Amino acid sequence: MSNGIPLAEALARYRADADLGPLPELADIDALLNTYHPDHLRDSVIKLTVGANAGDNCQRELAGLLQAEAFIDEADLAGTPVTDVDVLVIGGGGAGCAAALAAAENGARVLLATKLRLGDSNTVMAEGGIQAAIEPDDSVQRHIQDTLRGGHHAANPALVSAMASDGPEVLRWLIDQGMQFEQTPSGDLHTRRAGGMSTARLVHCRDYTGLEMMRVLREAVIQHRSIEVWEQSPAVELLSNETGQKCVGAVLTSLLDGQLRIVRTRSVILATGGLGRLHLNGFPTSNHLGATGDGLVLAYRIGARLCELDSFQYHPTGMLHPSHLAGKLVTEGVRAAGALLVNGLGNRFIDELQPRDVVCAAILRECSEGRGIRIDAQRVGVWLDTPRMERAQPGLLEKQFPNLMARTHVGGIDPRIEPLLIHPTLHYQNGGAVIDVNGATTVPGLYAVGEVAGGIHGRNRITGNALLEIISFGRRAGIAATTNRDRGPKKVTLEHVNRLRRALTLAGLPMTQRAPQILPDYAAGGAWNR
Amino acid sequence: MSLTTHEKGQPVALTINGLAVDASTDMTLVEAAWHGGVPRITNIGCMEGVCGSCRVMLRRGKEVSVGLACQTFVEDGIEVVFMPPASAPQHHYDIGDLKDGWDIHARFHKIFPEASRCRHCHGCNTACPKGIAVEDGVALAAAGRYREAGETFFECIMCELCDAACPELIAPAHVGLFSRRVTAHFHLRPPNLIHRLEELRQAHAIAPQDKKDEEENHADWPAR
Repeated sequence: MSNGIPLAEALARYRADADLGPLPELADIDALLNTYHPDHLRDSVIKLTVGANAGDNCQRELAGLLQAEAFIDEADLAGTPVTDVDVLVIGGGGAGCAAALAAAENGARVLLATKLRLGDSNTVMAEGGIQAAIEPDDSVQRHIQDTLRGGHHAANPALVSAMASDGPEVLRWLIDQGMQFEQTPSGDLHTRRAGGMSTARLVHCRDYTGLEMMRVLREAVIQHRSIEVWEQSPAVELLSNETGQKCVGAVLTSLLDGQLRIVRTRSVILATGGLGRLHLNGFPTSNHLGATGDGLVLAYRIGARLCELDSFQYHPTGMLHPSHLAGKLVTEGVRAAGALLVNGLGNRFIDELQPRDVVCAAILRECSEGRGIRIDAQRVGVWLDTPRMERAQPGLLEKQFPNLMARTHVGGIDPRIEPLLIHPTLHYQNGGAVIDVNGATTVPGLYAVGEVAGGIHGRNRITGNALLEIISFGRRAGIAATTNRDRGPKKVTLEHVNRLRRALTLAGLPMTQRAPQILPDYAAGGAWNR
Repeated sequence: MSLTTHEKGQPVALTINGLAVDASTDMTLVEAAWHGGVPRITNIGCMEGVCGSCRVMLRRGKEVSVGLACQTFVEDGIEVVFMPPASAPQHHYDIGDLKDGWDIHARFHKIFPEASRCRHCHGCNTACPKGIAVEDGVALAAAGRYREAGETFFECIMCELCDAACPELIAPAHVGLFSRRVTAHFHLRPPNLIHRLEELRQAHAIAPQDKKDEEENHADWPAR
């Protein structure tokens, strides 16, 4: 990608008070998406050969992991210590904590196992806010419609309806847990309108909404008497009953001592998050270090049906500069507050509050057609015009976006003076495990909540629905998981792994690659040697 | 590193967990650790300074300090040690057990008895990678001013470096979070949210079956 306007030239041309020209008409959204959205890149999608989704489209790199060899077999389980609990939650982000708290509130003994530290998650980085229809001119119905439209009508309406109806109650529960939100002078919760919303619905805590949520939930989990937390303990495999038809536990390893541990349980709740750290299609990512799609791999291997495996969200405004923040987000809240996107010629090119996939495709179009701003041979982007917003609303950046200001300050950048160079970044997995309104997957005993679950966002998530989803479905699954009062598993096996191995062999697929990935290659340095 | 002064990094040598690492000045300590292949580092999370995982001890000559690896750029000769995860908190409470707002002050001092024993050593302030006036925040909480205390801790990322620095074992990070949580729990009562909750409650009381039907009507999905 060597075309584009050189940085020095674009900087010389840039003025915060320049006339940006008229906003061009957005003629054909489908054509824009089909030509420029990374989901439609040539060769990026293949058909799955084995498993519950055989014959379905799947992103190529993800397909490699879904159809890969497991790490362990029966021999590894002999002599492995066993722990019995009522509910096992895998994942220590917002969804996992909400599920653990709900299960514990319902009287279950809960073990929460997380790959890294409790709270290391994408939740903690969420800035924009959480959607809930609470304004007088808004309604749950409008929230449902916006979510379905934003997802190109591919979402399961029952799930969307469940989530949107939960919105106000979720806010109340979070406030009960001790989460603070931005208020208006009269004490109302402050709302913003952001991309894909027909009215103001985004409730927030400045631009630290996810951090505020995560530190409160983390503390609540740590403090809860019935929840035990195992950190640095990624799951390497689920366990099934004798027939391989029901999930009855998991095998965890430890990044500290390398020891395998078996957990036997009645219900497993997968809350493992997304897969940005797989860097699909070579994109940078906004995700935290642990986002390697482990939950999808484990769920698929035990037979759970997944959906929308060829649909990912590339957030329009990932940072391009400085290099240590490459791929990290500038929250959509900044655009919601009025910041415009400007190309290297100094023109606006898209309505900034279109859904994320549309804005992303428009930015990639500008870059590919030579109107981007070029730092070097690899890096091309467009301006996010923060100085113009600062001129129009002096003091806004410092007051409303302290997180952005703190981060750019470390890199020696002042967004009040310099526009930010941005480029789309791999942000979110739109699909995931097929669930019902209780978060139950198609495999008995296995639940999936948060980013690892699918069907809620269709083929494009609108901002603020992720933080809502994790609490809404996290709590639903946590409660549902405690209703299973049978005596627990008689026998734990790897029958489902044997089943997949047979299928892989029959299909003539190579078994050289192992999954789940646990850590990205560049971070694996000796901690997780396979 | 503003765009106008965009420069390539300069080569530097440092040690991370005792291993010699060659890096470049535009790298953070996290990038340098990966670049140098330093093994057994798994306390890295968000890489943008909000998760508090990548706690490091730093030595520059005779000066020792703490910080976050993802927010610290490499320097020539600096010695870096990634710290082990923080131990479990020693102060326990369940926010659901706090029923009476008038009782909070007494409860706080039962839960955090050390908070009134601050010896003003500034260790917490020095340790905080976010520049929070930790000591002032603790003093505000000890005086029962939870809203102001909580606001002081607004940028807290739960790295718990202040907890590690406190000789009186006050656990300032948890004092801050307690202050923030009780402020929301007892005082955040937004009229717009309360109004909508009441509307939904009344609608649900009239037609509870409609919602259930809608939720159960998903068996045929996905249709495509």
